[in-house]
Amino acid sequence: MKWFKSTAILFVLIALVLTACGGGGNAAGNNNNDMGNMNMNDEATEEATEATTEETVDEGPIVIGASLPLTGKFSEPGTAAKQGYEVWASIVNENGGMLGRQVELVILDNASDQDTAVADYEKLITVDEVDLVVGPFSSFLVIPTSEVAARYGYAFVEPAGGAPDVFNRGLTNIFFAQPAPGDEQAIPFINYLLSLPELPATYAVVTQDDPFVLGVMDGIKAELEKAGSELVFDEIYAPDTTDFSSIAIQVADLNPDLIVGGTVFEDSVGQIRAYQDAGYQPKGAFFTTGPSLPGPFKEALGDATEGVFAAISWSPTAPGYQNAEMVARYLEMFGGEAGNIPEDVANAFTVGQVLQQAVEATGTIDNTTLIDALHAGTFNTVVGNLSFDEVGRPQGSFMLLQWQGDSFKIVAPADRADTEAVWPKPEW
Amino acid sequence: MHFPSMNVLVQVAVVGFLTGGVYALMAAGLTLIFGVMRVINIAHGALLIFSAYISYWLFTLYGIDPFVSVVVSIPILFIFGIIFQRYVLSRVESDPGLGVLVTFALALTLEGVMGSLWESTGRSVRTAYTSEVIKTTLGAVNLRLPVVRIAGLGAAVVALVVLFLLLKYSNTGRAIRATIQNRNAAQLMGVNVNRIQAVTFGVGLATIAMGGALFSLIWSFNSGSHEEWISKMLSIIVLGGMGSLPGAFLAALIMGVVEAVSAVVMTSYLSPIVFYLILFLTLIFRPQGLMGVKIRKG
Repeated sequence: MKWFKSTAILFVLIALVLTACGGGGNAAGNNNNDMGNMNMNDEATEEATEATTEETVDEGPIVIGASLPLTGKFSEPGTAAKQGYEVWASIVNENGGMLGRQVELVILDNASDQDTAVADYEKLITVDEVDLVVGPFSSFLVIPTSEVAARYGYAFVEPAGGAPDVFNRGLTNIFFAQPAPGDEQAIPFINYLLSLPELPATYAVVTQDDPFVLGVMDGIKAELEKAGSELVFDEIYAPDTTDFSSIAIQVADLNPDLIVGGTVFEDSVGQIRAYQDAGYQPKGAFFTTGPSLPGPFKEALGDATEGVFAAISWSPTAPGYQNAEMVARYLEMFGGEAGNIPEDVANAFTVGQVLQQAVEATGTIDNTTLIDALHAGTFNTVVGNLSFDEVGRPQGSFMLLQWQGDSFKIVAPADRADTEAVWPKPEW
Repeated sequence: MHFPSMNVLVQVAVVGFLTGGVYALMAAGLTLIFGVMRVINIAHGALLIFSAYISYWLFTLYGIDPFVSVVVSIPILFIFGIIFQRYVLSRVESDPGLGVLVTFALALTLEGVMGSLWESTGRSVRTAYTSEVIKTTLGAVNLRLPVVRIAGLGAAVVALVVLFLLLKYSNTGRAIRATIQNRNAAQLMGVNVNRIQAVTFGVGLATIAMGGALFSLIWSFNSGSHEEWISKMLSIIVLGGMGSLPGAFLAALIMGVVEAVSAVVMTSYLSPIVFYLILFLTLIFRPQGLMGVKIRKG
């Protein structure tokens, strides 16, 4: 039976090789938009390919691929990003599509896993041969997947990867579609602190070990040190930490004027509850993520939310190109209340807006041309006007929010603010 | 490594002790199930989170306090435990390894179901007494004791005493203990071992229903939280001695205090290492755990 087994394996291998070759030929035949992938030496093949594809592709939709964390750890923001892409596609298609062609989304679930996400983008580009790709949620998945897009020459506009490591790898195909990189998230808060009659004399930093929030924390520490505030407690905790009582008791003992939390969501709730238990009442409190998720944050903390600061890239009521239209379409498609629409929806919608304006300005879906156009242009989006530097860092600024009453209000910058900030904050 | 003030150290140790009580309640069912069935119930963490979700749901929808909602969650978990043991676990009882796989499958299934029902946002129950503390002094040290954790330790003690009395004085309890000591001998003496196993699994899950209610009041959770908690509970029952209820209680208190104190003496990142160091050393010098008994093979 041994010979039978070997022969069977050989047959399977041959079949796989043949399938792969067939797939490659198909790839060349279907993608006339990515010049970088074409064999320029074989003119006859090229002409034949173009003749075939111009007939078939131009009548078909523009296919845009993405791999999102629809299950697993990041399933909630991942699902919100999917909704954002779908709202954008719905509005675009209703208005005639891009370059006269409808937009079709191919969205895969990477289960919040880096390896799966990488494999998904490989598949989208080489097997499904999508025309364009857009990014997943968070720096954790953007960093490895952007390498895949770069390898195949695809533009990679992404909604939620703003950590320093996203931009320091020499890639030029990434475009982060938020107002500013993650490590600049706290700048509006720093500016607000510097505008106070008296700077907090002492502060504590309690942060999760996450590349995004660590970047933000480094920025805050550098600025506050420069301004003369003293860091009295600096703690990094593991991502799966749920109990903050020991940390809170230490912070309460030192009683700094300001607490800065590098949080993702659950840990912002855990920290605030632990500070309440420990009897710590700071003059000011800033958390990276948590306060910007209005529904769950209020549900978990009640009145303890009062006066808490966070940065946000978007608000349903703030001015912004197509913002009202996006909010209305979201509510039509997914229900709920405008105040509870996750920020990730708007960030994914922004990705679509940026890509659409680049495609329409250049009149092509050729990725090389689009990458150049994305570096050069300024784009009108729901989060304001966006432009990008040579590594795809956006050139804008976040907004500062503060919880006041039953919802949060935008308190900075002045031209986008709903109201003035309260300092010191009430007790929680 | 730095040494904090005495005030911080005592406060942290006392809160850690209270937290240990809650850990004890969470781990009690796991050790009981192992004692009787020799199966490690990997789904224990997922069932803990599921119970916490029942409390959360009843509180959010109807305003029912988690201490009251156990009236609903305990019977649900008890009946589910009996059915699951009777119709699924008992079919693979000849191979404990397979039993572990089956409970692992249950954990994954529950995670999926909970994820689709409640999404991945961290949830917790916020009652009127959530942030209440009792202020007291211990010598020169001012203490702030969270009411929820005191209630947690109290509930753990009550539940474990009731469990202990049931095991000690009721006929079913005697049969459970006999099955723990020697399954074959118990069977020969007329104990319906299959029934006892089903009841034990049900009782084990009922304790987790109580643990889940307390959990929902203290910590945030989502469908994926069970992974970290099952590893914590397993560590507790291994340190205490697999199958020993008093051992699990003692080990849980040790874990609560060690975790909390080492978080302030070192960092919270390194604190789990200290507990595992204690666990390794205990296993080297006392492989059966703190209060476990040696099992003779053959």
